[in-house]
Parts: sequence; structure tokens; C-alpha cells
Amino acid sequence: METTLNTQFEQLQKIIESIHVAKSKGQATEEGRKAATLMFVALKHANREVKQKIKDGRDKLHMEKSKVDLSRLQLQNLLYEVSHLKKEIVRCQKFKSRDSQLELLSETEYASQLPSMPSAKADLSSHKKHVHRLECELRLRKDLDKQYSSLLSSKQELLQENLSQTQRYTSFSPALRTLLGATKPLHDALQLSLDLEWKLSAVFKYLPKPLYVSFINLQSLQRTRDDLSFTAEVVGYESEAQMQELLNEKRQAALRREGPTKTEEPMDLDTLLTPHALHIKLTIGNSGSNQLILLIRYFEGIKCATVWAQVNSSNSQGETNFIHNLLRHLYANDMGNEIPIPGIQYELGSSGLTTEECLRYLEDKEFGKPFCWLQAMCLIPTANSSMLERNLNKNTREIIARIERRWNSWLRLSQQIRGLTYKDIDLYTLRENIYPVGLSCSLVQWTAITHEEFHAQNSDVLKISSDDRGITYNSYRAVFVRSSAKMECFIRIPSNYPLEMPLWILTVHWNGCHTSQNNSAIKMMEYWTNSLQPKQLGPNERLLYAQLFRTIYSFDIFLETEGSMQSSIEYNKEKPYISAFSKRSRARPYKYIKKGSVYAFKQ
Amino acid sequence: MKEKDLKRAYNNVMAQTISASHQHLFAGNSFGDIFVLKIQELDKGTEEPPGKLKIFPQGNGVDINCLAFHRDFLIVGAVGLIYGLPWNEEEETLAAKRSWEVKIPMQVDAVEVPDVNSMWLNADNDTLFAGCGDGVIYQVSLEDGRIQREYRGHTDYIHSVVGNASGQIFSGAEDGTVRVWSTKKQEQTSLLEPHKNPQLIRPDWGKWIGAVAVSEDWLLCGGGPRPSIYHLRALECTRVFDFPGRVHLCEFVDDSVFIGGEYNHVQSYTLHGELQANIPVEHTACYSVVWQTAPINLMSIAGFSNKLHILKDFRFLDSKIELYGNVQGEDNQAEDEEEELIEEPLIGEAS
Repeated sequence: METTLNTQFEQLQKIIESIHVAKSKGQATEEGRKAATLMFVALKHANREVKQKIKDGRDKLHMEKSKVDLSRLQLQNLLYEVSHLKKEIVRCQKFKSRDSQLELLSETEYASQLPSMPSAKADLSSHKKHVHRLECELRLRKDLDKQYSSLLSSKQELLQENLSQTQRYTSFSPALRTLLGATKPLHDALQLSLDLEWKLSAVFKYLPKPLYVSFINLQSLQRTRDDLSFTAEVVGYESEAQMQELLNEKRQAALRREGPTKTEEPMDLDTLLTPHALHIKLTIGNSGSNQLILLIRYFEGIKCATVWAQVNSSNSQGETNFIHNLLRHLYANDMGNEIPIPGIQYELGSSGLTTEECLRYLEDKEFGKPFCWLQAMCLIPTANSSMLERNLNKNTREIIARIERRWNSWLRLSQQIRGLTYKDIDLYTLRENIYPVGLSCSLVQWTAITHEEFHAQNSDVLKISSDDRGITYNSYRAVFVRSSAKMECFIRIPSNYPLEMPLWILTVHWNGCHTSQNNSAIKMMEYWTNSLQPKQLGPNERLLYAQLFRTIYSFDIFLETEGSMQSSIEYNKEKPYISAFSKRSRARPYKYIKKGSVYAFKQ
Repeated sequence: MKEKDLKRAYNNVMAQTISASHQHLFAGNSFGDIFVLKIQELDKGTEEPPGKLKIFPQGNGVDINCLAFHRDFLIVGAVGLIYGLPWNEEEETLAAKRSWEVKIPMQVDAVEVPDVNSMWLNADNDTLFAGCGDGVIYQVSLEDGRIQREYRGHTDYIHSVVGNASGQIFSGAEDGTVRVWSTKKQEQTSLLEPHKNPQLIRPDWGKWIGAVAVSEDWLLCGGGPRPSIYHLRALECTRVFDFPGRVHLCEFVDDSVFIGGEYNHVQSYTLHGELQANIPVEHTACYSVVWQTAPINLMSIAGFSNKLHILKDFRFLDSKIELYGNVQGEDNQAEDEEEELIEEPLIGEAS
């Protein structure tokens, strides 16, 4: 371009010079002028071309410039994003999840309560595991929340119902008042002092809640039922109860003031196991006879009630054993060897105590044991909740009736044992209306022996190991003689009498020593004695005496049948039996059969 | 004591028998329960204990005095009654319903229902001989349940009845006699009185004969008197055994003699009177022994205890099998509400 322009300029200059020259020479310039004008055309053309090119270049430049601008913008964007992300990362790093503050279930509880992760557990990161766990617990919490709300609503309903019932009752009260007013003359005439009675027993208002429930219930039973003979009363003073309440409040207030900063100091047994100042005294049995006294106390510290039993007559140590056994075996698997309140061991543990210590302390202080049935009577929820589901009133009645039944059985048993030990019973008159046949042997001794002495007896019966359910035994030895023959009986009375019957082991000394080990006749005798079941007893029979009679009649019959083969007969047949032996086992007629006035011994 | 403990402590197994297939052992006791043991369980050859037994109660009032097995039913001798129970080999169950019953007639002067103390089954002509508590042996046809004839002569109840293929019946009784009968003759063919033999009598224990057994040439009997062998044709006492207790069971096993009773051992003697084996048992008295040689050698001794004693070589005790406490389905029985003694309160008696 430049070159063309330059050449054109040069040409033009040349022409101009030539013109100039021609002018100066004065030659004709026309030709030169024409060429010059033409040159101007070409120049103009070139100029236009140059302009065109410049425009093109400018356009191109603009395009490139815009491209650069765009990429720069992108770059800016990216930079901004990077910085933003960096900020985000910092924020993430600084982020603190609230879950670290949440109180989670312990590992073991978690494992037991919630479904574990799907398989390939090990592959998952700990974070994922944690998240899964959180989810599970969330679900659990939601469930619990749902339960809570449903319980809350049922509580509301109950409250509502309560309210409506109360309203109903209050609606009665005017009518009742008028009735009371109207019958006042009648009360005066009959000298009934209803108001007085209520005032006197007002002390029960200060009973702790569980005892209150139980006491009211007992009272209602006492008023409505005639078939149970028991009385319940509250022992203790109103003032003491109030005092205790005040003290408790003070202690609690002090505790609150000190706040949770101070760690709980371990409580000692004395303060923890202080019974409530009031307790219930339940007397079972008719007045005038031996009465069983149950002292029911409530312990705020361990949230349960205990019972201690006493006999109102002061005789004999043995009976206290009996009554403790009675309560221990009242219900199966309820021996009172643990505190039946769920979670109590944790609470005790936080105070540095164990349940065993508590129980021993309660036993030593004669507060007794916390049986499940007792908690049921007081409506205290226990680990074994089956009893609570029943109607409280019915349940209490059943428990009292059961205690009364067992108490009567034990009384009779101990009376029988006393009678046998001191021989102040007359076997001959006792048997009179049951066995009209004469009795030839006599009881010469009945003594208590130790457990070891009893177990020195070598008998198969002792090898039958029934599952030991905390049953303990009292053992006795009885000796009977008939001329030259002697029978030793070892009797074991289980602590859960009358659920289980006394066990007899017999040994006969006559022409050698005969036991159930070496003589089948003795084994049959033993079976006949031990197989006596309560339902077989007659209305006036006593169990131990009935067993005794079975044993001694069997002894007589053993001697009479055994002796019948001797050349010189020592014992004549005195008992009425048809045949001395029957069956291949040569069974002897131990069984006593009585039909109307006809009686006999049979196999 | 609880009833189940009582039964364990005083279980008296009076009878045993083996099924026709030689696969099952039946044991009946005085509480009216029949236990069934699968014999294969004893021959497993492994260390694991044999499987549990099955129990088929016959009701409370049924004393099982003797058992026998014929074709596919179990014959039970109870009190005054013999009955048959069908045995289902596949399902190993004993029918609860009796398929037949034979009542033992009461004698005119009897005061008690007679026990069926012993049964001998003649499988070849379907005849059962039952020695009963009234001292009579009843010959019962198992085809129609008819009592075909009675063998009278014993003056006290019969302990044991056995017979042989030649139509001879032998019975031992409480009256101290062993009588030999023939199915073809009305009266007894001969009479033995071991207690009159001064070699045999043990005065402290009486004259009764508790058990009788026969082999081809010999008769074995014992009870209060010492156990002894008689030659069948001569009926002469040829050998006396020194068994130290009362005898309730006698048995010829191969070439030897088994004697048991009220003694803590069961003894095995050769025919010459030498003691071969002295087997300690837990029974207060042994009442029953059964044995077989095929498919496996097995002997079971039962008596007044809760255990069966199993011998495999007839010489040494192999194992003891508990009865009560070792029964299928026993554990899952729910504990019944406990029975309790209810007494009236004492009024004014105490203090």
C-alpha cells in the first residue's frame, strides 16, 4: 500500500516537476495536467482503499479486544469463586455440630436397643456410623416422644375423668349433709360418735403415699369383709411425721442452695434408710389366740416398703423362724433377697452403697424385707409387675387371706411339734375317732436335730435334688418302741410348709437294721407316710399327726407281718388285715381303709 | 414332698417286656406309668447320652404288675384285669384306648380283687397263662379273650408262672410250693416244697417262692428259701445257690443262671453253682429282668428304684437309665398352681 502510495506520489511528483519544468520552460502543460489529474484519481482510489483497510483493522482490533474482555471476566469470576469457596471451607472447619453436645446412649445400650448397621460394618467410616446412630436415636426419641404425648393425653383424660367424678361426688354432698343432719338425733340416740373416730385416725393423713394407699385399702377391707380377721392401725405420732417432713425439706433446700456444683457426698446407711415416722401395724388372727403382727414401714431413700413379722405371744424362738419363712415363701420366687425397685441399684451405687448392704442393714434393724407382694399392696411399681395389673383391693385381700391361711397352718404345725416334743399330747385319744384299732408301739422321744445329723441318713430320697428355691429345713428325730423293736424316724420340715409336706425317713432296728436302702417293706412304709397329701386329710386331722399315725401303724403292721414267719412269734396279729402279703413285691397292708364302720388295712 | 419327687424317690418298676421287633423296651410301675425305651438309643456307640424315654400313663388306679408283648400289642396285667394296648411301631406310640380286656373272675369267697402277678405267653398258639392273686392260674386264649381253663391248687397267691413248649406249666406261690401242671391234665402233675428241704429253708424269711424259671432240663426256683436247681424229670434238687437275699427274680440266660431280689447285687452263677458275675444294683429289690441277644445283646434289670440297669455282655453293668426325670416333654409341663393345706384357725387353744 505504502509502496503503491509512494510510487504514486513519486509519479505525481515527477509529473508535477515535469509540469513545473514545462511551465518554467513554458511548454505546453496540458498533457502533464491531464496525467496529473488521472494520477489524482488513482490516488483517491488508493486513499479510499487505505481508509477501508484501516476500518477493517479497527474492527478486528475491536473483536479481539472484546474476546480478551470476556476471558478476563471469566477469570475474575473464577477468582471470586475460589475466594468464596475458601471462605466456605474455613466456615465449615469452624462449624460445630450440636450433636457432640447431645447425650447419646451408651455403646452397649445402643447395641441392644437399636438395629445394628447393615452388614459390611467395618467398611464404613466412623462418621457414617455415627450418623447412622444419630438417625436411629432420633427415631427412638421420636417414638418416645410419641409415647410421652400419648401418655400425657391419657393423663389428661384421667384428670378430666377425675374432675368429673369429683364434681359428681361434690354434687352429692349437700344431700349427704342434709342426711347427716337429719340422722343426727338417731346418732345421738344410738350414741354413735362418727366424728370422733375420724378425728382420732386423722394421723393416717401423714402416712407416706404408698402406705396411705395400702392403709385405706386395708381399712375398707376390714369394714366390708367378715371372713378375714385382721386389724390395721397406724403407729407413730403426727408431730414426728411433721418434724421429719420439715427436716427433709430443710435438707433438700440446703442441697438446692449448694447447687449441683458440690458433688453428692456418699450418704450413710442410717440417713438413707430412715423409715418414715409412721408405719402400719397389721394384726392377723383372732384376738385371744396367737396373732401375727406385721409391721410395714416405708423408706423414702429406696422407695419401697418392708415388712417385719412378730408374734404377739412371747413364747419360743422357733416361731420367729417360722413366721419369717412364711413371708419368704408366700409367693414363689419372691424371697425378698433384692430390692425390687427398677434402677435402684444405680441410685444406690451413686451414693456408694450396694443393695446387699441395704438389705443386711434392714434385716439387722428388724425392718424386714422388701417383698414384691408388699410393694404390690402399696401400689409401688416393681420389676415384677404381674401383681400390679390385678385389682388392688382383690389383690390385697388375697395376700391377707394367704398369710392368714399359712399362719394358721404354721400355728397348727408348731403346736403339733410342741405337743410331740413335750409329749403333752395323748396319742391314744387323738387317734380315737380315726383309727379304732389298738396301737401297740409308743413314742418315746421327739427331739430337734441339726441338719447335718439328718443328712447323715443314707437315703435315696435325699438324692432327689429338687431345684433348691431357697428352702431351708428343720429336722427332728423321733423314736418309737414296741418291745424289742425300735424305729427311728428322721423328719425334715421344709420352710415352705404347707406347700411342701414334711419328709420322713425311717429306720427299723429289729433283727438287724432295716432301712429303705435294704428293705423294700421299709421303703413302702416310707412311701405311705410321705405320700400323704393335704387333700386326703379328714376335717379334724392334723398333718403331722396323720403322718405320725401312718408311720406307727405301718411299723406295727411291719412287725406283725414280719414276725408271722418266725418259729417263735414275737408279735401277734392285732391289726385287721386280710392278707399279710400281696403282689410279687410282697407288699404289706399299710393302707388304712375305712368305709362307714368297716375298716381294714390293705395293700 | 412334691408328687414328682415322690414318684422319683419311690418308683417301683415291677414289669418289663421287649417288643416283637426287638426295638423297644417297655417298663411298667406301680404308679401306673409305662415307659418306652428305644433300644437303638443304647447302641449308638457315641459318647452322647441315650435319648429320652416316652411315657404312657395308664391312670392313677392302675398298678402294672406284669407286661408281655404279642404281635403288635402290649399286654398289661393290672389288678383284676388283663388288657391289650396296640403299639404303633412307626410312630412309637401306645394307643390310649384298650383294644381288649379280660376280667379275672372273682372267686365266691374272695374279699379282694385278685392281682395279675405273672404272665407267661405261649406265642405259638396265642395262649396266655396268668398267675393271679387268688392262687389260680388262668389260661386265656388271645384269639377271643375267653378264659379257657383254670389251674387250681395253690393255697395262696401266685408269684410266678412259666411254661415250656411241651405243654408244661410251672408256678411258684406264696404258699411255699412249686407246682407243675400239664395243659392236658386236670390236676397238677407234681408238687415241690423247697421249704421242707433243710438245705434250702431260711426260717427268718418264710417259705414263699418268689420266682420260677425253666430251661430244657432244669427248673430254677427261689424266694424265702434259697434258690436252687431241680432236674425237670427227676424233680430232685441238684444244686443250691448262695444268694444272700430274698429271691424275686430267677432266669436262665444261655448257660448261666441269674438271680436277684432284695439284695444290692444281682448274681450270675454257672449251672454248677459257681459265682460268675456279681452286679451291683441300686434297687432296694429287683423284680424284673428282660434280655435279648439279637439285634444287640441287651439285658435290663428293673426294681424298686427310678433306674433301669442295662447290661450288654450280661456280666458287667453298662449303664443306668433314669425313668422319671428322663421323659420326653416332662420339662415343658407348666408348674401347676401349688396345692396347699388349708386349716381352720385355732381359737382359744393357744396362749
